Amino acid sequence: MKKKAGIGSKITLALTLLFFYLPIFYIILFSFNDSRSLTKFGGFSLRWYEKMFSDSTMMEAVFYTVVIAVLATVVSTVVGTVTAIGLSKCKKVLQTMVERVNDLPVMNPDIVTAISLLMFFSILSVRKGFGTLLIAHIMFCIPYVMLSVTPKLRSLDPNLIDAAMDLGATPFQALTKVIVPQIRPGIVSGALIAFTMSFDDFVISYFVTGNGVNNISILVYTMSKRVNPSINALSTIVILLITLVLGIVNLVPILHEKRTGEKKRFTLSRRAITVTAGVLAVAIVGGIAGGSISRQHRRQSAIEKYGSDTLKLYLPGEYIGEDLISNFESQFGVKVIVENFDSNEMMYTKIQAGDSYDVLIPSDYMIERLIAGDYLQKLDRSLVPNLDNLSPAVQNMDYDPDNTWSVPYFWGSVGLVYNHENVDPAAVEAEGWEILRNTDYAGRIYIYDSERDSFMMAFKALGCSMNTDDPAEIDAAYNWLREMNNTMSPVYVTDEVIDAMMAGYKDIAVVYSGDATVILDENEEMSFSMPNEGTNIWCDAMVIPANAENPLLAHEFINYTLTYEASFDNSETVGYASPNAEVLEEMSGSEDLYAENEAYLPRSDGEMDEMFHDNRTLQKELSKLWIKVKAEK
Amino acid sequence: MKQFRSMTYPYVAWISVIIVVPMLLIVLYAFTTSGNDVLTIQFTFDNFVRFVTDSVFMEVLLRSLYIAVITTLICILLGYPIAYVIAQLPDRGNTLAILLITMPTWVNMLVRTYAWMGILQDEGVFNTILGFFGIGPVSMIHTSFAVILGMVYNFLPFMILQIHTSLAKMDKSLLEAASDLGAAPATAFLRVTLPLSLPGVISGITLVFLPAVSSFFIPKLLGGGQYVLVGNIIETQFLTTGDWNFGSAISLIMAIIIMLSMWLTRKADVQVASRGKE
Repeated sequence: MKKKAGIGSKITLALTLLFFYLPIFYIILFSFNDSRSLTKFGGFSLRWYEKMFSDSTMMEAVFYTVVIAVLATVVSTVVGTVTAIGLSKCKKVLQTMVERVNDLPVMNPDIVTAISLLMFFSILSVRKGFGTLLIAHIMFCIPYVMLSVTPKLRSLDPNLIDAAMDLGATPFQALTKVIVPQIRPGIVSGALIAFTMSFDDFVISYFVTGNGVNNISILVYTMSKRVNPSINALSTIVILLITLVLGIVNLVPILHEKRTGEKKRFTLSRRAITVTAGVLAVAIVGGIAGGSISRQHRRQSAIEKYGSDTLKLYLPGEYIGEDLISNFESQFGVKVIVENFDSNEMMYTKIQAGDSYDVLIPSDYMIERLIAGDYLQKLDRSLVPNLDNLSPAVQNMDYDPDNTWSVPYFWGSVGLVYNHENVDPAAVEAEGWEILRNTDYAGRIYIYDSERDSFMMAFKALGCSMNTDDPAEIDAAYNWLREMNNTMSPVYVTDEVIDAMMAGYKDIAVVYSGDATVILDENEEMSFSMPNEGTNIWCDAMVIPANAENPLLAHEFINYTLTYEASFDNSETVGYASPNAEVLEEMSGSEDLYAENEAYLPRSDGEMDEMFHDNRTLQKELSKLWIKVKAEK
Repeated sequence: MKQFRSMTYPYVAWISVIIVVPMLLIVLYAFTTSGNDVLTIQFTFDNFVRFVTDSVFMEVLLRSLYIAVITTLICILLGYPIAYVIAQLPDRGNTLAILLITMPTWVNMLVRTYAWMGILQDEGVFNTILGFFGIGPVSMIHTSFAVILGMVYNFLPFMILQIHTSLAKMDKSLLEAASDLGAAPATAFLRVTLPLSLPGVISGITLVFLPAVSSFFIPKLLGGGQYVLVGNIIETQFLTTGDWNFGSAISLIMAIIIMLSMWLTRKADVQVASRGKE
């Protein structure tokens, strides 16, 4: 007996849907945004869709995400349901034990599960990729299914099975004909949750995958690194696809009913099959498209010359020229597998676990650590003739003075981006880092959320070296930061600072020079300043790991990156200073490029400027102090 | 029913290998120093001592539990009526409503959280609307309100799904029987519907509370980094500081606390369930 929905329930439903879909509409709207901002609208455009469709890695990621999600959902729903039913007939002890173990992946922060699996797979020395990704997803999906199914089983009459079997049903029949129909809602919601978890997972996937197998989340996280609104376009497409599949699935039976006049109920299981089939079809089409894109580059001659036609590149997200990879691929007839990392430490974790890449692009201090850990191989300089193109500014770097191990890729500084309409440029010049403790600007600043950069500015403001391990100086810097935290109500940000400053939400922010270049490009009210008290001048460089599978091609790639063409593409796209002397001069000299963008060119003459050295004890200490600073209210 | 028991064994074997063994590696890290070098294992309690002796970590842990409890409560208060309304819909509307509520969760969490960042800005949608009424701008972003809103948005669908599952297959004749026996609708709800749907509420709590305690991106993006939660600390230990030992120790401490609270919740659940059967 169903009643008509009352006005109260209609309002409840409407408000619920509004709440859930408000951000979704927002995403769709911003996928058509002409400006680069994710939060401020600047006119209608389709540029992010163009960018997305021209990017084959995105299409591949969609394919892997869907296939993994569908497979993981099917397997975990079946296994989870069967196990839950079996378990309900087991002794209490076993039930509790399994429940507790199941809680582990649900409860642990993803990163803990991810690291534990990473270590597990590397101890077994399994080749990471599709298989490991699928195993991990099945692992964390099953507990969700069981969590959904178990309560339904508990409210089931335990005598049902007995009754069925007394009436002559086999155990299998009792299972499929009696129990499963009774607990179907639990199974369906378990499957929905499993699919959602698999579809959305980033951290675990990131650490257990490899060899170019990426999912949408991994892509989104690396794209958000430097604000790429294609993620909105991609999400819109995903929404559209899902709506389409669901729409067809829901409409077909209605139309069918109308035609035949039958009032046959369309059961959930048939619906589930149709959904699965639909999604799979989409996935297969996507996969074929993705596969054909990746195959067309493979050439025989490359294998003869380098021993293999595949280069595995591991670098920060959104950190390479738009056409560099495709140009390199077509010029040398090879395939490049690109993987991205979020931080140097994240990269180090994977290298430590034994993952193999051909070229890495870490930062200065991390190169020190990699050299000390014997993770790198020396360069064969005869294979990199373009080393001659290096600008004097990036030669003789502390971490590797004669380029034995590394070749500079980008370099830059850390400074202050400020809104010159609201903040007097003369005040920024005069006060330097101290302006971050000037209460005139309280509530109007963004601080970069990293112990390294925050302590760097405190040390510099106090006139110390940022590599100091003198306890008195560390204590002074800690107090400097505490006072800043307690008087300025700062907001701590990382990559989202780019978007926030482009939109001009606050007046002063601590920003990396290349990100500042992008901000200044988008928002004319913003200026950049490198404090006179000194700052961090850093350099990211290309290195070849000791376990690289294709060192010959790695040298070729490094050499290619130093060419005028590639360096120009890199620097223009990303906004960081080029290591190539000619490109650097042109970028910082031409008015069409970055001549009027004061953030582009780092200074080479700052007497107080320094580079970081690798010091893990110091970093642990600073990290603890930094948490204390932020947690204080 | 012994036949059914054997269906459990493959899964028990599977979790022993794929969940328990990797977790033991984490335990090993928690009790050792510089564990990145497996050859020189040194047992220690330092990582735990560090956590317990420094008041800042305990404060952060308490704050995380507090925010997670609030989030869970809000999810129950909102999720129950929503699930109830959906369960009353005719079959097709029922399925459609559930799909509509699940669909947004298939858009990447980071993308949705970025959207909330835009919506909650001082110049965002909410404040524009408030502006029409001459109110504001009310600062919403980077407050605990924003963090809790973000968490509720992300985890509410799981609560709704779980409660709806319990309500959907409830035997409607029970309610008719209750009203035939003279129970007012409110009484029937309190004495019949509510107890029968409690298992769903409990598993909903599990699905909301557990991820809420350890969530990382939501407090980071919507809280502006001032709302340091335990998930953020663990994440930092593994990803920025590279101190796996300390990170493992914190997650172990957190695991134990959460295990305890879930054990209590389930105990309450069993009591309620057994009372319902009497």
